[in-house]
Amino acid sequence: MEFGPGFWGPIVATIVMLAGAGLAGLALFGSRRIAKARPSIAKRSTYGCGEEVNPEEVTADSEQFYSPIRRIFKPFYKYIQPGHSGKLNTYLLWVVIGFVVLMVAIALVLR
Amino acid sequence: MIEVAPILAIIIPLMGSFLTPLISILTKRYKKERIRDLFVVAITIVTLLLVLHMLPTVWSGNIIVYRLGNWTPPWGICLAIDGLNILVALIVSGIAALVSIYSLMYMKKDTGLGKYYTLLLLILASMMGVTLTGDFFNLFVFFEIMSVSAYALVAFRRNWDSIEASIKYMVIGSLGASLVLLGISFTYSLVGSLNIADIAQKISIIGTNPLPPVLILILALMMTGFCIKIAMVPFHAWMPDAYQAAPSAVVALFAACTTTVGVYVMLRIVYTLFGVAALGVMLIVLGSVTMVVGALMALVQRNLKRLLAYSCISQVGYILLGVGFGTALGIEGGLFHLLNNAIYKALLFMCAGAILYRVGTCNLDELGGLSKNMPVTASLFTIGALAISGVPPFNGFASKWTIYIAGIQAGKAFFTLLAIIVSVLTLAYLLKAINAIFLGQRPKRFENIREAPMTMLFPMMLLAVLCIVLGVLPSLGIDIVTPAYNSLTNQYGYIHAVLGGI
Repeated sequence: MEFGPGFWGPIVATIVMLAGAGLAGLALFGSRRIAKARPSIAKRSTYGCGEEVNPEEVTADSEQFYSPIRRIFKPFYKYIQPGHSGKLNTYLLWVVIGFVVLMVAIALVLR
Repeated sequence: MIEVAPILAIIIPLMGSFLTPLISILTKRYKKERIRDLFVVAITIVTLLLVLHMLPTVWSGNIIVYRLGNWTPPWGICLAIDGLNILVALIVSGIAALVSIYSLMYMKKDTGLGKYYTLLLLILASMMGVTLTGDFFNLFVFFEIMSVSAYALVAFRRNWDSIEASIKYMVIGSLGASLVLLGISFTYSLVGSLNIADIAQKISIIGTNPLPPVLILILALMMTGFCIKIAMVPFHAWMPDAYQAAPSAVVALFAACTTTVGVYVMLRIVYTLFGVAALGVMLIVLGSVTMVVGALMALVQRNLKRLLAYSCISQVGYILLGVGFGTALGIEGGLFHLLNNAIYKALLFMCAGAILYRVGTCNLDELGGLSKNMPVTASLFTIGALAISGVPPFNGFASKWTIYIAGIQAGKAFFTLLAIIVSVLTLAYLLKAINAIFLGQRPKRFENIREAPMTMLFPMMLLAVLCIVLGVLPSLGIDIVTPAYNSLTNQYGYIHAVLGGI
């Protein structure tokens, strides 16, 4: 496989990416100097249901972080995720099912 | 080349593991435990040097055959080293050396380190044994030593979680081992031999088109046994529990090495033993399912180590997918991904260990803003995360790109598209991890957290450098895996070298 120019020139691409990142950094740095953000105290405060909460207590729930993706793959999370229950007998059932699937697949492919 | 180098690569870590308890007692008496730790590091480095010593011979196209007791195969036991297993031996010994250095500081707070280092060297010796042997029964014996050491290492901390995870791993692993043993027994009853080359020759005489029912059963038994070890879906369930509970240094070794060894054995069975490249379609489908299930499960995890464990499962899918395409480019891409996966997976688990070492938790909901306290670890984790997600210019991009091109060339556009989507999901769940650990608000109790010690950072830095080097110079990676590809597709070369024209 060729990794040279025309297909995927890694060295040239890396230099371009680094230069791009540098330029983006400079642009960000420059824009900050022009318009420095000055948030008011009210903006810096975080509110839950009307009450004020400490900033470190406000974190996105990591299980629900990609809830739209969870909605897209709803059947997967409804049927497959509960199978990862930590119960050994469920895991053993998976192994037995897997063995049968493998044997049938090998037979279908090689017979 | 030193003639006994192949056997030394197994015996030195094995003897080292037997000596470690003795050295541990002596050094404890004189309060010089550091000597024991350095002894273990020295053993792993010597093993790596022995593998490096064999590299030029194997890479020049030779197969090293070491006959134990000068008994001729197939009657005697032999070690057979070709391009495929030298690549695996290189990964195993290299990562084991880095893990032993990492353990110097990471395991310092633990007690019973004599047992830990004994098991570490034992698992290294067994992995080298599985990799280098040319005999199927020896492969099974070393595989069992590897598994038993792994169960003990998972339970090393002896808390509720680790013991439970170890028992689950042991039950499922033992079931897998029983299936492999059954497969070996059937093979022996069918062909009357345990030598891999001899079995391959006899199976080629029986013929694989169509494959007799008993060989289908043998193949299914063996593949199930080894698929449990590599945690291919649906045999994967033990892995997240075990990886979450085991010490991070151990998990880095498991993720990088035991998975690699498992994939190696599977490839050896499919290509060398049975010579059935037609199984590619099955590998593609199973690889794709593994990729998708691993990625979707990783997306919803709260614990970093559990997230990375599901990521491990997902990445194995890529390797199977590449190899399953069956083309030269696909197999090279799969093998290149095997190498890359070992590098960045070890790096990511070591980073998780560094966080756990300093902060005491891997729960993503409890972490935040640590880039201020641990900038080096944050940078190294980001490199590993970008590499595994296939972002250029890191090594993961080079191998994934090779697999994508191979998929399109093989006319498997759907599976290629699936692989690209899974790559995006990989980036998504690792960005979530980066955001949760290193960015955002830092809890007040983390204000005094310091950067991980240099002894832990050094192996991580080395792995990060490899991620960059193999990404910027992907031809180097392809050059490393090409001898492995040549060996994998040269079944008769292996048989001829081991049996010498018998």
